[in-house]
Amino acid sequence: MKRLERRLEAEIAYHIDRVTQNYVAQGLAPQEARRRALLEFGGATQIQEDLRDVHRPRWLADLRQDVVYAARTLRRSPGFLACAVLTLGLGIGANTAIFSLINAVMLRPLPAVREPAGLIQISRVTDHCDACAVSYALFEYFRDRLSSVSESFIEMPIRHEITVDGVDEMVNGDEVSGAYYSVLGLAPAAGRLLGPEDDASPTPVAVISYDYWRRRFGLDPAAIGKSFTYASTTLTIVGVEPPGFEGTERGRTREFTVPLSMTDRMGGGDGRWRQEWDMNSLVMMARRKPGVTVARANAEVAALFDVWRNDKAPTLKEAFDRIRFLKERAAALPGAAGMNGLRAQFWKPLSILMGIVALVLLLACANLSGLLLARAASRQREISIRRALGAGSGRLTRQFLAESLLLGSCGALVGFSVAQWFSRALVTMMANGDDLPLSVSPDWRVFAFTGAVSLLACIFAGLAPGLSAGRVSVNPSLKEVRTGGGHRPLGRVLVVAQLAISMTLLVGASLFIRTLVKLYSVDTGIRTGGVLIFDVTAKHHFPPARSVEIQNAIVARLQSLPGVTFASAADILPLGGGLWTRRVQVDGYTFRPGEDDTAALNAIAWRYFAVTGTPILLGRDFSERDTVGSSPVAIVNQKFVRELFAGRSPLGRHVTQNDVTYEIVGVVKDAKYESLRKGVPRTLYIPWEQQGEMGQANRSQPMAYAYLARVASGDPMRLTPLVEHAMPQIDPAMRMRTPRTFQDHVNQSTLNERMMATLGGFFGLLALIVACLGIFGILAFQVSRRINEIGVRMALGATRGNIVNLVLREVAMLLLPGCTLGALAAAGLTRFANSMLFGVTSTDPTAFALAAAALAASTLAAGFLPALRASRVGPITALRCE
Amino acid sequence: MASEKSDLLQGTLDMLVLKIVALEPAHGYLIAQRIQQISRDVLQVQQGSLYPALHRLEKRGWLKADWRDSETGREAKFYALTRLGRKQLEAESANWDRLAGAVALIMRTVE
Repeated sequence: MKRLERRLEAEIAYHIDRVTQNYVAQGLAPQEARRRALLEFGGATQIQEDLRDVHRPRWLADLRQDVVYAARTLRRSPGFLACAVLTLGLGIGANTAIFSLINAVMLRPLPAVREPAGLIQISRVTDHCDACAVSYALFEYFRDRLSSVSESFIEMPIRHEITVDGVDEMVNGDEVSGAYYSVLGLAPAAGRLLGPEDDASPTPVAVISYDYWRRRFGLDPAAIGKSFTYASTTLTIVGVEPPGFEGTERGRTREFTVPLSMTDRMGGGDGRWRQEWDMNSLVMMARRKPGVTVARANAEVAALFDVWRNDKAPTLKEAFDRIRFLKERAAALPGAAGMNGLRAQFWKPLSILMGIVALVLLLACANLSGLLLARAASRQREISIRRALGAGSGRLTRQFLAESLLLGSCGALVGFSVAQWFSRALVTMMANGDDLPLSVSPDWRVFAFTGAVSLLACIFAGLAPGLSAGRVSVNPSLKEVRTGGGHRPLGRVLVVAQLAISMTLLVGASLFIRTLVKLYSVDTGIRTGGVLIFDVTAKHHFPPARSVEIQNAIVARLQSLPGVTFASAADILPLGGGLWTRRVQVDGYTFRPGEDDTAALNAIAWRYFAVTGTPILLGRDFSERDTVGSSPVAIVNQKFVRELFAGRSPLGRHVTQNDVTYEIVGVVKDAKYESLRKGVPRTLYIPWEQQGEMGQANRSQPMAYAYLARVASGDPMRLTPLVEHAMPQIDPAMRMRTPRTFQDHVNQSTLNERMMATLGGFFGLLALIVACLGIFGILAFQVSRRINEIGVRMALGATRGNIVNLVLREVAMLLLPGCTLGALAAAGLTRFANSMLFGVTSTDPTAFALAAAALAASTLAAGFLPALRASRVGPITALRCE
Repeated sequence: MASEKSDLLQGTLDMLVLKIVALEPAHGYLIAQRIQQISRDVLQVQQGSLYPALHRLEKRGWLKADWRDSETGREAKFYALTRLGRKQLEAESANWDRLAGAVALIMRTVE
């Protein structure tokens, strides 16, 4: 382009010089000659511009002109510019932020992995989960038969304390089968990675992650060959994973990988996991053979599983298990983004949030469109003049599009920075007090998304005003002075649209907020306030007798701490999402075939019900005399009595689980178990020392329990340092872990609800503000247009109250259709959020009424200011405006 | 003097340029001079519109241009007719003849 410019100049200069010489030859003075030559040639700049036009496509020339013009006009109204860019920026920012999260959680392929698109996850599918774990036997079955995959592996996440150079550290890792690294296509950063030979190797080895290598060993090559202690085993580090590799699961830090065979060495490992075909605890991934689609792999997996199911189902003794098993399927899912607990957890809230922010952006567009329209109105004379000078309506529309394109680009920039901050805030929220390493830094998907969204937004926002400008006719508006009502239907439509969108968002917000309120006001049967809970870890396992000793010592020590009223322990902490069910036999009750013969079970220390504040309605609590040696006793809840004893007293009756028969000695009030949402299951409580042989094997360690302490008053967290101090005194190997209040523990389980209520409320409020601004804008504009009409009315005896009413009626006229449309849209859309609601239906009348009331109150308030201004108009002022 | 000059009919400038250049390659100044000289000063080329026209014709492929030394020894941009340009010139001059003939016919008969 530069070269072309120089050439153009040279060509013209040559011409002018020749003409000048000509005049000089005719006897003119050189200066005069040059002046004439230039004059004759005409405006050199204009001609150069025309020449440039010849060389550049017409639309590009126009576009450049339009953009330059738009920039110039926008600079002249900084208030409008700031307002528009901010509105758009917020809308685009919110969308980019939510999309970044969706991208991070489920779109972004696994980093450092070779051809992630070729990976599939092979999993069982049940009523409860879409990607359930598989058993080792099932893995072998698939591995040996699947023809559509080249290689496959299984893995299991672990979290454990390790000791490196005498320092204890809690770390995450994976136990993996031999093909792990070859399926993922990784090469070591140092040393070697694990391979098939490690599956059966007698030497315990480990591979560490690159991050851990850097953090713990400062990238020192001497780390290879070092050993560390993990679950009483000494492992030797043989290699380092390549940098950037994050494992196959998102949002999790990981420090090391060990062969799956390590499971056999760990406490309680009896090799059963290799044989029992229904012990599902492993995640399976595979690499498709080239040219095989996911669909084909899926079909093969499903067909193979049918054979497996028909083969295994008859071996199940219980009808209930058989029925459940026969409903199971298996599937191959795309594995490029890894397998993902986060995906399952956040898919629903994120997609609903995406919908919400899309509405917010739509609202921002409508708002901006209104602003542009108002600007266009005040520029009507300019537009008329330009039309009169021959500007086509297409060109004028393009001019307006250029303006919104410019605004859109600025909005995209602002939005992008807003999004960076916002998505980080969201990750913090999702982490829920934990550490959630989730990369939300923008990649090409995020850039493309933001670009596309911004472009759509500015086309959408600029179209209406552009089209209406195109329709401006030359004559009337040139003649027009400030007269008449000048109804602007498009402007009103836009305000109604804003109100409708706000209404929809407000309905959503109030549904989510009401869900949260209902959730927290539900009767759980548990008093969670004033209770400290914590877990414990130990450096090694204990023999059973010692375990019981330590467990009892912890509870006794807790009980003796100052301010503690009751202390206890439980296998499962209620309201945390955990559920432990067992098949039970109840004397005097026969289960019908296919009837659910399980009960929720919890193994607890005595005084548990005193800590949770669950009243004992009948019989007695457990006591310190209910120990390993004494006769087994149990406590059941009301539901258990209702369902299995037909409401009659169960005291003295017997219930059997896990080959132990318990005498029922008490009945407690129904208390929620799994979560605030789920109903109360029939529950069987047993003393933690009376779990029977089989139960004991897995749960004989102090680490299996959570410990609880109720304080009389004050913050229970103040006990933390005392407990921390006491633990090594009870046993040198013991440590306290994750102290938190019971309330915090419950809050963990309401993360999604809290997130939706907070964000729904936030966006609802934002929508309300935008809608109010919209109303305010259009009314202020109308008042200024109708100023002499108002003056005349006042002159004819209208009171100030009448005028205020007149303007507020205008608000009502907009509010009514806005609210109605919004309510209709909400009724259609909130269905999608149904599964996230609790205690309210998606068409909850209260939520709709609340939203409508909030919208009406704030828009009337917004309309009041222009109304007041209108009422202050003196008749003389008004008429003078003419 | 002004009364003796005529503005160029819209669209005829392109044809004249093609015709001039058909004789021999020429630069802008020369083309303007030739049009003026040959028409005995009747036709005056708007110099400002000559150059955009030249570039347009070049872009359409009717003219080709190169920089070479002019008669004054200084480098100038010379335009020459392409084969496509020659065809265009033939078409346009045939068209012009028809048009001029028709106009002349009317002027002569309708009194």
